[in-house]
Amino acid sequence: MAIIERPTDPAPVPAVAGSGAPAVVTPSQAYGVLRRPVSSTGWRSWVFTVDHKKLGIMYGVVAMFFFIMGGIEALLIRLQLAGPEGTVLSAGLYNEMFTMHATTMVFLFVMPMAAAFANYLIPLQIGARDVAFPRINAFGFWCFLAGGLFLNTSWFLGGAADGGWFMYQPNASPLYSPTNGVDFWALGLQITGIASLTGAINLIVTILNMRAPGMTLMKMPIFTWMILVVQFLLLFAMPVITVALFLLMFQRSFGATFFDVAAGADPLLWQHLFWIFGHPEVYIIVLPGFAIVSEVLPVFSRKPLFGYRFVVFSGAAIGFVGWGVWAHHMFASGLGPVSVAVFSVATMLIAIPTGVKIVNWTLTMWGGKIQFTTAMLFAVGLVVSFTIGGLSGVTHAVAPSDTQQTDTYYIVAHFHYTIFGGAVLGLFAGFYYWWPKAFGKLLNEKLGKWNFWLMMIGMNMTFGPMHIIGLQGQPRRMMNWTEARAGEGFFNLGFWNRVASVGSFILAIGVFLFLVNIWYTHRAKSNTPKAPLDPWDARTLEWITQSPPKEHNFDKVPTVHALDEFFHRKYEVDHETGEVRKVATAEEILAAEEAQGDKHIHLPSPSYWPIILAFALPVMAYGVIYNRLLIVVGGLIVLLAMFGWALEPSVADDSDYDPPAEGGGTNKELATIG
Amino acid sequence: MAMWLFLGSECLLFGGLISTYMLYRGRHSAELGPDQIFDIPFTSVSSFVLLMSSLTMVLAVSAAAQKDDRRTNLWLTITALLGATFVGGQVYEFTVMYREGLGFTTSLFSSSFYTLTGFHGVHVTVGIIMLMALVGINKRSRVPGDKAEVVEMVGLYWHFVDVVWIIIFTLVYLIPA
Amino acid sequence: MAHRNINMATVRTVPHMTRMSRRMTRRRTLTGLGVAGAALALAGCAQDAPQDTWQPKGDNAQMIHDLQWPVFLIAGIVGVIVIAVIAYVIVRYRDTGQPMPEQTHGKPALEITLTILPALILVGVGIPTVTTIFELAETDDTECIINVTGQQWWWEYDYPAQDGCGGISAPIVTSGQLVMPADTNVLLRLTSRDVIHSFWIPALNGKKDTVPGRVHLLRMHANEPGIYAGQCTEFCGLSHANMKMEAVALSAEDFETWKANQLEAYTPPEAGSLAALGEQAYIANCAYCHQVNGLSTTAPDGTVTPVLANPDQFVVSGAAPNLTHLMTRNTFAGATWDLLTPECRERVWNAPPEEFGALYLQGVTPECLNQVDLREWIRNAPAKKPMYALPSQAANSGGLVRGMPALGLNETQIDQIIAYLLERN
Repeated sequence: MAIIERPTDPAPVPAVAGSGAPAVVTPSQAYGVLRRPVSSTGWRSWVFTVDHKKLGIMYGVVAMFFFIMGGIEALLIRLQLAGPEGTVLSAGLYNEMFTMHATTMVFLFVMPMAAAFANYLIPLQIGARDVAFPRINAFGFWCFLAGGLFLNTSWFLGGAADGGWFMYQPNASPLYSPTNGVDFWALGLQITGIASLTGAINLIVTILNMRAPGMTLMKMPIFTWMILVVQFLLLFAMPVITVALFLLMFQRSFGATFFDVAAGADPLLWQHLFWIFGHPEVYIIVLPGFAIVSEVLPVFSRKPLFGYRFVVFSGAAIGFVGWGVWAHHMFASGLGPVSVAVFSVATMLIAIPTGVKIVNWTLTMWGGKIQFTTAMLFAVGLVVSFTIGGLSGVTHAVAPSDTQQTDTYYIVAHFHYTIFGGAVLGLFAGFYYWWPKAFGKLLNEKLGKWNFWLMMIGMNMTFGPMHIIGLQGQPRRMMNWTEARAGEGFFNLGFWNRVASVGSFILAIGVFLFLVNIWYTHRAKSNTPKAPLDPWDARTLEWITQSPPKEHNFDKVPTVHALDEFFHRKYEVDHETGEVRKVATAEEILAAEEAQGDKHIHLPSPSYWPIILAFALPVMAYGVIYNRLLIVVGGLIVLLAMFGWALEPSVADDSDYDPPAEGGGTNKELATIG
Repeated sequence: MAMWLFLGSECLLFGGLISTYMLYRGRHSAELGPDQIFDIPFTSVSSFVLLMSSLTMVLAVSAAAQKDDRRTNLWLTITALLGATFVGGQVYEFTVMYREGLGFTTSLFSSSFYTLTGFHGVHVTVGIIMLMALVGINKRSRVPGDKAEVVEMVGLYWHFVDVVWIIIFTLVYLIPA
Repeated sequence: MAHRNINMATVRTVPHMTRMSRRMTRRRTLTGLGVAGAALALAGCAQDAPQDTWQPKGDNAQMIHDLQWPVFLIAGIVGVIVIAVIAYVIVRYRDTGQPMPEQTHGKPALEITLTILPALILVGVGIPTVTTIFELAETDDTECIINVTGQQWWWEYDYPAQDGCGGISAPIVTSGQLVMPADTNVLLRLTSRDVIHSFWIPALNGKKDTVPGRVHLLRMHANEPGIYAGQCTEFCGLSHANMKMEAVALSAEDFETWKANQLEAYTPPEAGSLAALGEQAYIANCAYCHQVNGLSTTAPDGTVTPVLANPDQFVVSGAAPNLTHLMTRNTFAGATWDLLTPECRERVWNAPPEEFGALYLQGVTPECLNQVDLREWIRNAPAKKPMYALPSQAANSGGLVRGMPALGLNETQIDQIIAYLLERN
């Protein structure tokens, strides 16, 4: 199958790395040192791909791997805390475990999994054939993988980071954390940070420049809108953590004294830098989950999203106000009462746009015709869990009250209800909802419901009791708790810690069922039929194409007339009676579109350079830790790769392929520079 | 547009570095503070050189807009040379300071000073590499997409780096601690 | 086209809404009562964990509590309402074969109302929050200053000479248990010698970080004599879990007794006793880091040299707990273990306020000493409490360790040292 596809060619793109020999190609020209990769099957088609869909799937697979890792870390933590004076882990290992659990879940699971959805779906939702900068997109993915792997090699090289995910100074300086763990942490996050930054630029440009004809901003699907907000948050939050990580690296590896109190430094500098990044980060994590349920709820309520404009504006408002609340992580750090009061009030303000979302989701379902598919169950689960997490958030916006709760399990309960209940449940809703789109088969609904209920029960059993544990005064990040301070009676710490530990295993079984479901659906003997074109009676553009979509997404980019375009093509609304009539099926709509498909579509071509450039970075990072010479080696590869990249046109000449394309004007969809 | 977004992001990067410097500018020993260490006339000259390079960059962009390859290459090369002069000046300045005893780890002032100006220097260097690559690709007529747009994008980056320097120069060198 | 749609929808759903809201009101009253009941149960439980944040025992904590319980109550009520509405919606509007619903895109009036409503609630919460923040930051009304210093992984308290605290003539240095006069506003000046810690006695006030290079102020007040548990709550490295503390409030009279005892001159052990051997063992093994005020050696020629601890040379933070009056406190090693046997501990911790002072001032008597934990500690401290105290771990810190190393003492030496320490009361 050639990269240049004509709509008349019916061959579908394989959903997972297929077998089969790579296409025989004779490149007419070599660029720089290496011949251009052009195979579109086999492992090469994945490793050198610039296709946003393949990259999206790879983001998802790798993020899922890290989710399991982070989950195992969490289970070890809960095992340790199941009884008093836990001895499963040593103190040092326990500290590494919770540091890496948080780091993994935030930076290597939720953020990249959101990137997986954004990458896969944004071009489809806005009717584009790829993202604006496909090679940069590939580079971002490989940076994420390289950074994530680099970070986790620290387990085998003297111990992982042990300073907590917030890495407060000076506790994370070499004197107090002498292993290389924190170095791995700082450099690894620096590398994954590149992925976030390039991804943000790429997606913003894609969304703003490449929408289908007729799709004005206010006709854009809500998922795309929320992701746009997230990318702007990333764009401005990442450089702040970059500065902080550079200062940390200079301190740890090059002898600078930015956080050394003896040299006159102020350790609060780190806290400010970290939380100026860290609070927008909270919304970076949670908004993609909101984005997904804002798509799923309307589809299964058979109604449009209630108050689309309100949801859009409240999302943007969260994006703005999110910048003014970072110091609420520092109410106990000795800020003056004026700052505390200001940040306290600002934090309450942010509850308003968040509340708007919950109200709108509820009113979307109100008066609907609700179908409880697994995706819908996860979405409703999110609304309920996030309500709890949001309200406990309001209780510690009250700064004096927060001085009692901060750094206790009450906070742990709060942010797991928001992150797990808000982001992760949303991601799972997304898995079930878009699985047929990406892989052509529906996940098993029966297993899916078990998956949902076990996760929901497990989640509430794990994190619900943490409210009690926290209010009873158990601080977080403690390797153990003691009977002497556990109390008695209904609220005793022992009982509720055990409940939480049991809950965490139920939760883990729930997640495991998801993997079982994937296996069940795609196993060789599976009798799961191919998913219908429009299994959910969906409303947005990504369903006006094959499942899985062809490499170029759309034979013809649809012209958009309305918000929920696909719905309006399928249904006619009687304005007098409000009655809704079906006028076309998805198959008919797609057939009509494909009948007038573009004759000649040029897609950006695969490239070696993104992966080479990305994997040169950990070489430099190992250099910083072990041997300065490696920095030079890595740096040279980086330079070489950049020049190779710059010299390589983003779209290979037609003559690179066999057979060469027929002549005629090309339909150049993608302006790809850099 | 991607460049605009990237530069927006860069603003916060330099914002963070400048804030760090402003916080720590007073934290140094009596002999090795900004007053003793800075050679303002020298830095003024190199700043002027960098400023001039912005002008030549404008000329390159306008030549590219008129599709005049020869003049585009000429002005791009001059811009790169001026940039290189600035970086050379900075290397010289750092060497002198180092000889006077102000190492990277000497004090909080020195660490944050070298970090801030060093980061800027790296940005200028990256800019020079971009200019040279552009000249190279241009000579081989292999500029992808719209050539004038590419030159303009590199120009945008270059101007940004200049503007940042003006801010750094003012805050670090001119305003007394 | 969309506009007409909205209008139609508004008209049609109005009666429906009214019916709903009436039913909702009833539900709200019921659930509200339920939450209030639960909150009362939460506040009223007596045998809860010692670090329960809902049982204030002093003015500051009371101020926080008065602010927080209504907020929790409101949040609880709102939560129950929202979840009840969601439950209603998903049951009422589940797919039972009804026709496709109307495509309503929103009702701006309703949305604005539902935006303003939470905003009003938040204004109601915000105003008392801000006033409480400023009230809690007040320190002008304090009458007694205690400096609190955190280090890995214990707390040091020093009482500078002052007119406050009923007058203190010479500095007092102690650790682990913060002894303070009851019913008095005490000003804590918090700092740290190494990393950031956080000082937290939930029954008396919220927490405040102790940051190296900074001094933070925290006002403490205990209504009645008693012992109040707390813990370091800013992650501070390896043994963060083992950095605990207690605040001990004594009546004015008992506090005077305590001060006088702390300033008493050193009484050397009786010559020839086990404790006298212990003094020698102490000087040989412990006194490098742990100060005992007044301890001295006498050379054969009669010159008396005071024994001064010099922890700077051994420990990163440059400090080790002062043991001059170890047995007046009843916990050790970062308040992680009790110096009292469980029965004696029960007696002190559960004493009513009027009897508490006398029991506490008895200190640790030989019968009450928790030999097990103390022996284990002296035998091999890092095995009992994870610390960075092996010489091999000191490579990155200029040869300094963090925490107490294993001293390699034999059982006889441990007996002697314990006998000596028992007299440090």
